[in-house]
Amino acid sequence: MTDPTAAFFEGLDRSGHEPLLEKTIGTLRFELTNGKQEAPWFVTIKKGDVAVSRADATADCVARTDKTLFDGIVRGKENAMAAVLRGAIETEGDPELLVRFQRLFPGPSATGTPGKKS
Amino acid sequence: MSDTSVRILDGNTFVVSDSNGDIEASLTDPTGLFSFDTRYLSRWILTVNGERLNPLSVDDLQYFEARFFLVPGTGTMYIDSKLSVIRRRAVGDGFHEELTIINHDEKPVDLTVRIDAASDFADLFEVKDALEKKGAYSASVLDGELVLGYERKTYKRQTAISASAPVKVDENGLTFEISLEPQQEWTTDLDVVTAISAGGRHVRPKYERGGRARPNMEQSLEKWLEDAPKLESDWDPLKVTYRRSLVDMAALRFSPPIAGGRSLPAAGLPWFMTMFGRDSIFTSLQALPFAPELAATTLLALGDWQGARTDDFRDEDPGRILHEMRYGEMTAFEERPHSPYYGCADATPLYVVLLDEYERWTGDRKLVQDLEREARAALNWIDEYADLKNNGYIWYQRRNEESGLENQCWKDSWDSISYRDGRIPGFPRATCELQGYAYDAKLRGARLARLVWQDAELAERLEMEAADLKRRFNRDYWVEDGEYFALGLDAEGGQIDALASNNGHLLWSGIVDKSKANAVARNLMGPRLFSGWGVRTLAKGEGRYNPIGYHVGTVWPFDSSFVAWGLRNYGFKDEAAQIAAGILDAADFFGGRLPEAFGGYERSQTKYPVEYPTACSPQAWSTGAPLLLLRTMLGLEPVGDNLIVDPALPEGIGALGLLDIPGRWGHVDAFGRERGPRQRLDSARTRKQLSVPSNGREAPAVTQQV
Repeated sequence: MTDPTAAFFEGLDRSGHEPLLEKTIGTLRFELTNGKQEAPWFVTIKKGDVAVSRADATADCVARTDKTLFDGIVRGKENAMAAVLRGAIETEGDPELLVRFQRLFPGPSATGTPGKKS
Repeated sequence: MSDTSVRILDGNTFVVSDSNGDIEASLTDPTGLFSFDTRYLSRWILTVNGERLNPLSVDDLQYFEARFFLVPGTGTMYIDSKLSVIRRRAVGDGFHEELTIINHDEKPVDLTVRIDAASDFADLFEVKDALEKKGAYSASVLDGELVLGYERKTYKRQTAISASAPVKVDENGLTFEISLEPQQEWTTDLDVVTAISAGGRHVRPKYERGGRARPNMEQSLEKWLEDAPKLESDWDPLKVTYRRSLVDMAALRFSPPIAGGRSLPAAGLPWFMTMFGRDSIFTSLQALPFAPELAATTLLALGDWQGARTDDFRDEDPGRILHEMRYGEMTAFEERPHSPYYGCADATPLYVVLLDEYERWTGDRKLVQDLEREARAALNWIDEYADLKNNGYIWYQRRNEESGLENQCWKDSWDSISYRDGRIPGFPRATCELQGYAYDAKLRGARLARLVWQDAELAERLEMEAADLKRRFNRDYWVEDGEYFALGLDAEGGQIDALASNNGHLLWSGIVDKSKANAVARNLMGPRLFSGWGVRTLAKGEGRYNPIGYHVGTVWPFDSSFVAWGLRNYGFKDEAAQIAAGILDAADFFGGRLPEAFGGYERSQTKYPVEYPTACSPQAWSTGAPLLLLRTMLGLEPVGDNLIVDPALPEGIGALGLLDIPGRWGHVDAFGRERGPRQRLDSARTRKQLSVPSNGREAPAVTQQV
């Protein structure tokens, strides 16, 4: 089974540009714990251009959480902002970066009742 | 909550106490220290030698500061105290209280001063609905501080209480044993710090011991008042109302955690000190001629939170502007969808309306450029996600059936949308004002596309769509036998045929055919809708009309202010002035602070406006109503780089001047005066209002560059 978190970050790195982040500059560090702490993911955003790396860098915002929870977030099963509010994601630094970044996480699959036209 | 409660606040941190400064809350009683939608103190009771204190007076120094003058003994006893107790409280990241006790006796006294403290850490939603807590409480003494805690899994909230004077701290409070010589004074600082705990740390506030808490707030209020345009008028109550509006608007400023310290208007004090898409947008529109920076922050913050995916629980769609953001425990555990909740059908088109109106006033094209993506996404939402019936209208129907909102328009109570006979339609619903906002958003979007985004193709498409929408709307919503627009369309495409104030919003948006405008204005100013104070939300004679029904007969000052703007847009100057007069007269009865709503009773019947009971005051868009009415009375309209002034004053206001109106023109003064013989006023407080507008009251436009 593929690692959803790795797939998310690798996909992000491949895309290289996210229109939703065109007003954003900064680096996020995601520290995920899976029994032990894994090597952090660094996401550097320069006006929409996005690069992902695991090499140490200075971060403007750090998000610490459980790997299982983060897997849920990147699969649309968990909501990142609710997780921040209940302390399941700990943040340090500029929270605005995380607010903007979380828009890239997918939503849960829709029921198909009112909403987007098919 | 008693009427004597005292509220002070700073952003979304606020304290509600009784008039002696004590807090003694139950789960359902909304007193306490609140921050980020959580109650951090539910008990804060001061006793001296075991006795509660009795208030002599309360000074509401500022909206963030209060001073309580107290003496020992209860209210029923004769007061001949030899002690004065003064509590001076300022809210910040928690609150800071300076407690002073003065011995007026000729003899020394020994006193036991006690503060009982506790917290139930209730979520605001729990206070509303009286729900049980699911986590565990703690109270401990750490380094001389009392630390109250609440923990539910990873969710941790703490209140830390400390004092500057020697103190004995236990798990239920603080005790001071003091001895005072004759005329001696004792004082201590008390700090109550709210903390969202992260990894065992809690964030301390920036208080300095012995210093006054947050004096920067006072300065910012002074600067705020200084920066606002100056009002001149021969009608004194208007000056009172104007100043009250400015001060309240300052109090309602709220810096959401992501706005980089900038402020936008929250919805209302104290329970709605949070971002609401609709309320923040409407209030920013009202305040544009006075404080355009509020609009900029509103646009940026709402843009940051713009919906990005489909999420049924939150009624989120890509491009949708949020309805309401909350930070409490129930939101954190997804027992409520407010992280944020998107179930609102008007904020998204209104977002584009505000962006365009902001540019017209300020000339700030950079913001329009910066928000191009957000504005396009909002315009896209109208066609792509809101048109649930695929017939070119905005419809709403919640996907979160449990805790989502049924009515996603500004009249959001369950019974606000009805047929003439009182029946309630099914879902989805397409209320009329939503179509007006969509029309306006498309035209304004087209203007911005040409002017800033250099996209003529988009502009042409939007203009074609707007024209088509207007044509269809004037056909499908027009109620022939009443000569007004239906409140909405039901799922079968039938008219929800009640007559409501929404017609005024249609004038504001410009979707009304010129040929129909006279009839619409006649209905708005007729006896069924116009009460003499303002425009009823639902017309007298409709099945569900109730003069004290929340959205079915009361008069909402905010609503009436937009109706007045709409009337002006179609050239009904005197009618707009008449509404302005009614609402501003009403404001005079409330000391310049308009309530959220008041009864729809006939003015001649009650003589004074009957306030609708609500816990929230001031309310942002009620605070903004006098501001917008000043705009409509003076006929302020930005055209190119100029501000056009075309005043039409109501009877009894002889002269009105607004000095230093900020905008793309720099600063401009606007004056209006009554033409013809001056009305003699009975007193400075009485502004005689005529029920029939007379002619010849327009003054020539005067503008002058500063």
